[in-house]
Amino acid sequence: MQGIGKMGIKKIYPFGMGILLCGVFVLAAVWTAAAAVPPAEALALGRADLIVIDGLKSFGPLERPPVPFYHDKHTDAMVKQNKDCSACHETVKDKLSRKFKRVQDNSKTAVMDVYHDQCIGCHKERKSANKAGGPVTCGECHIKDAMLRSTWQAITLDKSLHYRHVKANEKKCETCHHEFNPQTKALYYTKGDEGACLYCHKKKTEENRISNRLASHQACIACHRQLAAKDKDAGPAQCSGCHDPRQQALLEKIADPPRMERNQPDAVLVKTGLKGGNPEPVTNRMRPVPFDHRAHEGYNNSCRQCHHADLKSCATCHTVQGDEEGRQVKLAQAMHQNDARNSCVGCHKQQQAEPACAGCHSSIVKGRSLTSEAACKTCHMNIPVENPYPDESSAESKSMAADLLAARKPVVETVPVDQIPETVTIQSLTHDYEAVALPHRKIVLKLAAGVKDNRLAAYFHDAPTTLCQGCHHNSPATVKPPQCGSCHGRSSEALNLTRPGLMAAYHQQCIQCHDKMGLEKPVSRECTTCHAKRK
Amino acid sequence: MSISRRKFLGWMGAASLTSAVGTSARAASNHEFKGYEDSMAVLHDITRCIGCRKCEGACNTVNDLPKPEKPFDDLTVLEEKRRTTAKAYTVVNQFGGQAPTFVKKQCNHCQEPACASACFVKAFTKTPEGAVVYNEKVCVGCRYCMIACPFEIPAYEYDEPFTPRIMKCTMCYPRITKGLLPGCVEACPTEALVFGKRQALLKVARQRIADYPDRYVDHIYGEKEMGGTNWLYLTSKPYGEVGMREDLGNTPAPKLTKGALGAVPMVVGLWPVLLTGIYAINKRKEKIAAEEQHAAVDEAVAQTNAEAEAKLAAAMEKAAQNQEAAVAREVKKALEEAAKAAAEAEAAKDEKGSDAPDGTSEDA
Repeated sequence: MQGIGKMGIKKIYPFGMGILLCGVFVLAAVWTAAAAVPPAEALALGRADLIVIDGLKSFGPLERPPVPFYHDKHTDAMVKQNKDCSACHETVKDKLSRKFKRVQDNSKTAVMDVYHDQCIGCHKERKSANKAGGPVTCGECHIKDAMLRSTWQAITLDKSLHYRHVKANEKKCETCHHEFNPQTKALYYTKGDEGACLYCHKKKTEENRISNRLASHQACIACHRQLAAKDKDAGPAQCSGCHDPRQQALLEKIADPPRMERNQPDAVLVKTGLKGGNPEPVTNRMRPVPFDHRAHEGYNNSCRQCHHADLKSCATCHTVQGDEEGRQVKLAQAMHQNDARNSCVGCHKQQQAEPACAGCHSSIVKGRSLTSEAACKTCHMNIPVENPYPDESSAESKSMAADLLAARKPVVETVPVDQIPETVTIQSLTHDYEAVALPHRKIVLKLAAGVKDNRLAAYFHDAPTTLCQGCHHNSPATVKPPQCGSCHGRSSEALNLTRPGLMAAYHQQCIQCHDKMGLEKPVSRECTTCHAKRK
Repeated sequence: MSISRRKFLGWMGAASLTSAVGTSARAASNHEFKGYEDSMAVLHDITRCIGCRKCEGACNTVNDLPKPEKPFDDLTVLEEKRRTTAKAYTVVNQFGGQAPTFVKKQCNHCQEPACASACFVKAFTKTPEGAVVYNEKVCVGCRYCMIACPFEIPAYEYDEPFTPRIMKCTMCYPRITKGLLPGCVEACPTEALVFGKRQALLKVARQRIADYPDRYVDHIYGEKEMGGTNWLYLTSKPYGEVGMREDLGNTPAPKLTKGALGAVPMVVGLWPVLLTGIYAINKRKEKIAAEEQHAAVDEAVAQTNAEAEAKLAAAMEKAAQNQEAAVAREVKKALEEAAKAAAEAEAAKDEKGSDAPDGTSEDA
């Protein structure tokens, strides 16, 4: 940005002036280096504790540019002077105010005066004592077009971090989890009703509930500070401790934390909110879907991956017909929406972007999974049972879910190796190049190896030959599929614009799969890497 | 010749009034050319291009162009950005480092070609098949087409001293009229190039975007650009990042220049009349002024003359009177002298007896 700015200036001024300016810049650069203000590399990497002071915005347009402020730098400076947070933050009802030296924004001049008097006052004091201090003149703080980089990144309380807190608090969930009683205006705790902070504490402060940002800073930092004061193992209290990506990477990870204890089911039939028993009309109803709740807890990092608004069952808001509470997103949509992060199909689709899967799946038309009957039955299992629609809260429902899940068998075996042709020689297209000997078996085994331990693949690839359909698409799954040339003609033709000719079909299939799987071969895009030149 | 500010503004006002009348007449027309209905086109799916340069080779062969220095299977050529030349109707360019994108460049065969609208000898023709073809027989070599083309396609045979031609892709017009595929399309091993009716290809392109929304940018380049072209593009990266202009807008080139070029006949035909008119009016004005001036002068002169004559007459009369008076006086004097002389002679006659002094004679 700056470079461009300089060029712009140079363009405007005559040549001699340009040289003069260059000289000035060089001088300035030398001077800055000599003055040894924060190391350039540290600034270039960015900091996570950058706060932009623009509190006066709520009183109208700013007269001066907002002030960039590095919080951790000040915290460190206070520690060095044997001061704590109270040097800058006031305490109200045992809680630190997040505002600087005040509790409320009363008036424009009052807020402005707080900053001007307190900041400059302290900086001047330091200066007069001949100690390192901050800026004292207007332009040093109110920097126009300040080019600063913030590395701030939100922190998520994932399973691992949650478990570390559970352990540290000896399962006293009430330390953090609470509810609010609007009558008594008091917080209370009910065992078994815990939920994520974000369910109540939203982005902005609402009536009777503070914003998530305020809540987490008040609660987390206060607790961490108390523990630190008692010389106990405490979490970070500085900005960078939670918000710097480099620090986040250093957080201790529990590889396989125990399940959360919230009375969640192991297996459950996906609730529909419809009456059980023998409903009318039976024929219009999909078979209930057994859901392995326990397994999915393991796949995801947080309950919020699916339970995005609360921990109730999906059908509470997403009714079969759609409801205002669920923003008219019907149950079927909530489960099948292709491009939604929280839906079953949407999440499974995201998994298909993994290199091991993408080779085949990237060429499958989006939405195709919902049009195949077999795909429906993978979840809506059609197994003969006495009462396919038990009452949702009944014990019968629970046992049926477990039974169905037990009946669902992952397909782990592949086509026997001796049934996989070792090489397939593509003879029909020889013209400029020799025929290609396709290492067919090697390709199949490579694909199989990629999904060997993938449970999602094991359940949805419902036959050993499913894998074959990655290339042998649009034809029944069999060990002897029709040849590619059965559908793809010898050359591309204007009469059939949607179906590539044989040569294009091969190239598209091979190249796209190699690309998507991130394979090292072929090492170059020269034709001769795959094809021997015909003599 | 100096023109006063007032006069200049007056002329300009008159001129804009005339052109404004012209504009509104055009705006009333609802004629819009949407391309030939059954025209053919090529869909270039950039995501499928592997940069093998087979299209370049095929183009070279079918068009009998001179062989380049480096053979077509030398992919190092791609390292440099190239444009079409008089010896290469099409080039493939590479964008991005790690996983490069390849884009074929050639004439886009605009539905309303800028080159054709810039050509004053009609050397370019948009055929109903969709191709924009060039006729070297009428070309005068002004190269306006090269300046007009927003895609920088037409090239010129600078090294042909006697018969230089504009060289550009013909969409293999001779081949497609025989029912063959364009050379490049036939050679493409991945069908990154597909030839078909433009309307059908637009549907194919839309279907691809709908089927693979993650793979494509939701825009068919050439569907509307510069009024639409008969070469259509699909891409996974933004078009601006793969060397394609995104600033062209959807207005066909001829429409952009129609205002200015449409004014040419008006300028050529109307302005002389207008200017002559203004000139004549001014001339007439000047003439009248001169006449008036003459009259005034004449009148003034006449008046002055009359006055002078009157004065002269008065002076003459006075002089005459003076003269008369002088004559009378002289006459009187002479008469008196004569009378005196007569009296003296009388007295002398008498003297002979008396001596009388002669005082009166001295006084006269």
